[in-house]
Amino acid sequence: MSAAADGPPTLIAALARNAAEHGRTVAVRERDLGIWQEYSWTAFFDDVMAAAAGLEALGLKPGTAMTVIGDNRYNLYVAMLGAVALGAFPSPVFPDVPPQELTHYTRHGAPDIAVAEDQEQVDKLIELRGRIGRPAHIIYDDRRGLGEYTAEGLVAFAHVLARGRTRLSAEAGLKADIASRAGGDDIAVLLHSSGTTGAPKGIAPRHRHVIAAVRNAAAGGYFHTGEEHYAYLPTAWIGDFVFTVCAGIMLRFHINIPERQETVLGDLRQVAPTFYLAAPRAWDNMLTHVQVGMADSTPFKRRLFDYFMPRAVARERRRLAGESDGLRDRLMGLLGEMLVFAPIKDSLGLSRTRRAYTGGEALGEDTFLFFRALGINLKQFYGQTETSAFTAAQDDGAVRLHTVGRPLPGVDVRIDDSGEILVRSQSVVDSYFDDPDATAKAFVDGWLRTGDAGSIDADGQLVVLGRVGEVVRTAAGERYIPNYIENRLKFSPYIRNVAVIGAGLPVLNAIVCIDFDAVAYWAEQRGIASTSYADLSQKPQVLDLVRDVIARSNQNFEPGLRIHRFVNLHKDFDADDGEITRTRKLRRNVIEERYAPLIAGLYDGSTEVSFDARITYESGETGTMRRTLAITEVAT
Amino acid sequence: MFYRRAGIRHTSYRAERQLWPLPFDRALVALVFALLVLAPLYLGDLYLAGYLLPWIIWSTAALGLNFLMGGAGQIHLGYGAVMAIGAYTSVHLVRAGVPLEVAMIGGGLASAAIGIMFGAAALRVKGLYLAMATLAMQYIVDFVISHVPAISGGTQATIQVPTVRFLGVPIVGNTATYYMALAVGTVVTLFMLNARRTSLGRALAAVREKDYAAEVIGVGTLRYKLLAFWISSFIGGVVGAVLAVCYLRSISPDQFHIELSIQLVAMVIVGGLGSVLGSFFGAALILFAPIVLNNVIGSLSDTFALSISSDLRAHVPLMLYGALIIGFLLWEPLGLAKIYANVRDYFLVWPFRHARR
Repeated sequence: MSAAADGPPTLIAALARNAAEHGRTVAVRERDLGIWQEYSWTAFFDDVMAAAAGLEALGLKPGTAMTVIGDNRYNLYVAMLGAVALGAFPSPVFPDVPPQELTHYTRHGAPDIAVAEDQEQVDKLIELRGRIGRPAHIIYDDRRGLGEYTAEGLVAFAHVLARGRTRLSAEAGLKADIASRAGGDDIAVLLHSSGTTGAPKGIAPRHRHVIAAVRNAAAGGYFHTGEEHYAYLPTAWIGDFVFTVCAGIMLRFHINIPERQETVLGDLRQVAPTFYLAAPRAWDNMLTHVQVGMADSTPFKRRLFDYFMPRAVARERRRLAGESDGLRDRLMGLLGEMLVFAPIKDSLGLSRTRRAYTGGEALGEDTFLFFRALGINLKQFYGQTETSAFTAAQDDGAVRLHTVGRPLPGVDVRIDDSGEILVRSQSVVDSYFDDPDATAKAFVDGWLRTGDAGSIDADGQLVVLGRVGEVVRTAAGERYIPNYIENRLKFSPYIRNVAVIGAGLPVLNAIVCIDFDAVAYWAEQRGIASTSYADLSQKPQVLDLVRDVIARSNQNFEPGLRIHRFVNLHKDFDADDGEITRTRKLRRNVIEERYAPLIAGLYDGSTEVSFDARITYESGETGTMRRTLAITEVAT
Repeated sequence: MFYRRAGIRHTSYRAERQLWPLPFDRALVALVFALLVLAPLYLGDLYLAGYLLPWIIWSTAALGLNFLMGGAGQIHLGYGAVMAIGAYTSVHLVRAGVPLEVAMIGGGLASAAIGIMFGAAALRVKGLYLAMATLAMQYIVDFVISHVPAISGGTQATIQVPTVRFLGVPIVGNTATYYMALAVGTVVTLFMLNARRTSLGRALAAVREKDYAAEVIGVGTLRYKLLAFWISSFIGGVVGAVLAVCYLRSISPDQFHIELSIQLVAMVIVGGLGSVLGSFFGAALILFAPIVLNNVIGSLSDTFALSISSDLRAHVPLMLYGALIIGFLLWEPLGLAKIYANVRDYFLVWPFRHARR
């Protein structure tokens, strides 16, 4: 698909077009001191041009990077686009990156100018300069706390803008000149991969990539012109750049920027976006928020909620299974909408949301169904930084629980023999920035190796299982990703951690760590007394509870991938014991070694197993304690 | 349940200070106002002149008193006398050929001038003592009116209000009188709604909470107490004129006695101190509860053929009325306005119990 053939070839050209054709329309709203400041497309464009002229006067060279660090602010977006207009490229960095790691994020593109949101970021940059001698110029947006700073090269963004304006008014034709400098083949932004394996890789989509990505997504009905958009996700994430900056400019969104990260949820209600994207964890938090609020509500309101909500969820489940609604269902839906759903959506700020998305990782089934049952058109999408965020998305009417939908128009996806997902599209970047080795590994014959394992089902929908490196096989040769099964199990509020065992073994079994708070509350409601985590985990009722959770999750898998037996561990996996990392990822080898007797018990058919559990005390000493744990069968 | 708040955002502080930011509230206000404006079209004369008209007038009077009691925290037990001054002044002016509009203002000014003199007592005394001072005003004004023939026209005399025109419309018939009362009521209501958002309203609130604390932060107590009395008395005088022209049509001193003052104080307290909406609720309850109770008791005794003595028949409604007011004050001391606010909150946070976040 030659999507980029028509229309503006660069973001700057698109911005200039908006200013010319829709100059008075609101482009950006930013909440400042409780009030939404509005910027029209003309004002936005003029600010970007002034920023470009100012940055050029400061010495920003084409083809170099400009570090941008801070939360979503109008001025930071203006600075980013100003750099883009000059043929330089912004390199946004997560604002919570610790000072020592900044080195990683500033090693590409020789960034000599940095734009910081506030004093906190300025401090980091000054420290960075002390270490590596860059950046020479630090531009700050919020001057609070910076009055006494005497560091060299420290300049206010307002000053840069003013200088740019002076230049623009002094030199006729400069504005037109700057507006036409960027080309479709210029780098639009420099981002970094998450860096879970080694130092973060630089990824630099060009204008033509991001523009193709937006075209593809728009062609897929992913979003429409004039969406009310909420720009609250980190600027260093490809999603924010593509949604807020690229799609925002190309499709003339109204870009709404919250006051601070702490006010994101409250401001969301004032914005009431028509298009909303949130990470699975954010959706989970929102669900918890509603559930806690309802549990605390008045009896009458709670009864209404308890009546309508489960019915709506069941109805949504039937719908996803392909059944159509009966008249009764529809009437109940209308009544529920009026009494319960619409007010809840209103209080969340999602009442106008026509398209809601989640991506990045798997979203729990309960959460997914809850929001769909509320009447929010929540869908999953799948993408990488390398594909400019867009690879696949769920279509209306073809939403399945366990897939991420079909590849977008203009995106080719295939699965290679090892089960890895390969992507080819105009939105896929050409290479990693300045990293031929990694490029050679990931870009093969025009296809991008995503590193994700997956499959394409009969409908043509893409199923993402996990990272390729995590694939293991049972003794029967069944290929699976433990993490994928574990995540499905962890969707249950009662299971906090779980290790699925089975590499090289005949069947899959599991070591389960219950969620103490949730299970203790559940037990308390049923009058089951317990003294400790270990005691609670071995209660017959709790074992039954976990068995039911596993049995339900088993339904989602083929028989070879079902869990047969499990044991409730007497404690949660703990980073201090080395069983999980600080970011809560399992360390399988440690678990398999430490709980070898337990795993043996799972496979030799015994109904309970005793072993010496190792205990690490706070002082660092270790001891052992004899534990007897019950092993439970699950119907498969 | 009905309230929708998503997507309400303000682009200026002025917009944020609007009276009714929520669309539902705006719609409700518009609906009630439309019903009031169209009332002559669908209400019979009895209801229009017998219920709606006095409700509007008494509510307006309660608003004026509420400005003083709720807004500035100064009790006033002589508001009936304030209205009497306005009524007599304006009627005499009208009889002397002054146009009604000017006469109304004249009545208001006369009330304000005399009201501020008694209000000056508030500079020295507070609470019960101020109540006594204003009660004294009630009796002094009553006495002066009935004993000065030039004002009352003689001891037992009533003074007829001649046919007048208001803004070019002759005030004859129920519809014209109703609209005149509604117009004045609307103006006073708008003033009251906005007064509390001004520096004046905030200064009065400071005086209400603690007068010497207000003085400390630079709010001149002398000035604002007198101003509160002046404004409140001015409104009282104008409403007195409206009462005379639109409702009473002939005035005599006994119509403005202590009963009227107490009635208005009850409206303000039952409705809710400081609340615009409460003044309307309070006026409705105090005016109509006796009538409704009377009818209910009457129809009950008729239906069940109870042989109630006429004494009891006459007193039971009054007893219930008293019980009702005591009940309201026990249950919700902040008045009917607070009850409305509670109900509104219940729906505002629907389906949750509390405001979120």
